[in-house]
Amino acid sequence: MKAVRSLLDKLYTVPQLARFKPVIGAADAILYGTNETTHAAPHVVDNIDIKRYMSLVIVALLPAVAAAFFLFGWRVIAIIMVSYMAGGAVEVIFAIIRKHDIHEGFLITGLIFPLVLPPTTPLWVVAVGVVFGTMFGKEMFGGTGRNIFNPALVGRLFITIAFPAIMTMNWQTPFASGPEAITTATPLTTFKSTAQTSTINPSVVEAGTEQVLFTNAGAVKKATQNPQSEFAGVQVYCMGDAAYEKAAHHRRIEEGKASRLVSYGDLLIGKEPGSMGETCRLAILAGGLLLIGLRVSNWRIPVSYMTTVFIFAAVGSHFLPAKIAPPMFQVLAGGLLFGAMFMATDPITSPFTKAGKYIFGISCGVLTVLIRSFSGYVEGVMFSIVIMNAFTPLIDQMVLMFKYRPVKA
Amino acid sequence: MSTKQLFDGEDRKILKTGYTREHPIFVVGLGICSALAVSNKVENAIAMGVGVTFVLIATAVIISSLRSLIPQRARIITYMIAIASFVIIVQKFLDAFTPAISEALGPYVALIITNCIIMGRAEAFYVTRSVRHSVIDAVGNGIGYSYTLIAIAAIREVLGFGTLLGFQVTPDGWEKWVVMSMAPGAFFLLGTAIWISRAITERSSGEEEGE
Repeated sequence: MKAVRSLLDKLYTVPQLARFKPVIGAADAILYGTNETTHAAPHVVDNIDIKRYMSLVIVALLPAVAAAFFLFGWRVIAIIMVSYMAGGAVEVIFAIIRKHDIHEGFLITGLIFPLVLPPTTPLWVVAVGVVFGTMFGKEMFGGTGRNIFNPALVGRLFITIAFPAIMTMNWQTPFASGPEAITTATPLTTFKSTAQTSTINPSVVEAGTEQVLFTNAGAVKKATQNPQSEFAGVQVYCMGDAAYEKAAHHRRIEEGKASRLVSYGDLLIGKEPGSMGETCRLAILAGGLLLIGLRVSNWRIPVSYMTTVFIFAAVGSHFLPAKIAPPMFQVLAGGLLFGAMFMATDPITSPFTKAGKYIFGISCGVLTVLIRSFSGYVEGVMFSIVIMNAFTPLIDQMVLMFKYRPVKA
Repeated sequence: MSTKQLFDGEDRKILKTGYTREHPIFVVGLGICSALAVSNKVENAIAMGVGVTFVLIATAVIISSLRSLIPQRARIITYMIAIASFVIIVQKFLDAFTPAISEALGPYVALIITNCIIMGRAEAFYVTRSVRHSVIDAVGNGIGYSYTLIAIAAIREVLGFGTLLGFQVTPDGWEKWVVMSMAPGAFFLLGTAIWISRAITERSSGEEEGE
């Protein structure tokens, strides 16, 4: 270790490298911590600075990275490396032009960004996205701590709009490779397309029906108990294992005609296609709970976000089963868990007041379900977080206004 | 001596101001709406640039020669009448000779009437200055507007359509940047261009002050 220390000290004094001082400084701070002390109150006695604080987030992301590697193979590592190199280059260029230290936020952006991409994303698209996200999501506003939007989401948003074919049509089935592993549908897409062509939760299956979609076990029971139901030749799709179990072995439904649209267990362990880091929900939960346990991120946003999605979906799917997917599915599918745990909780772009955090989470939840159900896009997590990022300063301002009203004389 | 009288130092300064220090889009922030809308293809950008430059010059001639006759209270309406007449000429010309471009530009030719560059220059410059200086200013602003439009359109057309002036310049299998053919693409490019130009101006002006 002493050799590294003396090497760093020597590098500081080399005149030719003076321009690259930010790079050396960043390596120094990551390896040895910092001697800088806070200039203004409040003072907390701790030798942690943002670089080290952020490295805890990296640790929390590791389970998701490991799961992605396990599910999708070496390509994951290649995409992460491209993201770090392209985004890091932008970061270093701005640090040198603006003559400041390298901002540590990039360590996280560079890792979160690849995790929200489909595993088949071409590498040059990854580079375009991360460069755009770092420039327009962060540097344009003045760098880490001044950005309004989450830079990783800005990058993802840009390439989603720029290359819709690449970003929405090429997904990969986990544990598989080769051309047959490419699928055009994630569970959310499957639900949307099946719901459009099927009769949903009918209380009576009338003769001549071709496709039926049951979103819960209760609906299966209701339809099969009705003596007027006619199941001959009807293709039955079920959401979740409970409904499937009921339908698969029911005497009135023809053998082999019942199929499972989605298994909640598979969603949890990551066997369904999706973005690299969002599929293995168990790994995300582990990382997210670690962050909440260490008080690095706050529980209020993820909890209020996911609770809102659950409640809204439960009420909505009761009245509008064709449009709004059932609650368990909404919570487990897509990028909700990853978004709620790692992106909505970004301390820079989310409110700092307690009430503000609840407002942020609830609004994100409502928007997510609305976008998933009623827009042309199948996934709404990214959009809803970016939209609420824009409202964050307003929310904080209003909370403070109501809380600290000037005393009337 | 005679050449100097034809185009002296002040003329040159006015001309240069139009596309540098008082660049209509980058510095003054005028004419952004049309720059966003018609910069999707180079041929549209050229047509729009030429159209706006023509209207600018014609307006400069009319307004600056009538400047002593224009009543103070009715000056805006006077600009409008002059600008509208020339815009209609441009529009009819495009309709007659290049119907394809006319269709692509859509309502934006007619909207040159409300293009802030022309109104802004008329109010700020032509109504108080001589015909000669006004025309030079119009040319300068026209150059500034046109080259910006064409530069942005070139990037957008190559990325968004894979072509340049209608000819394919990218290899087969080129993935089109859909966002570049939409208005947001123009926003990002124009924003970046303004960002860079401001950063450069600030840096150079900061150095001048330092000296």
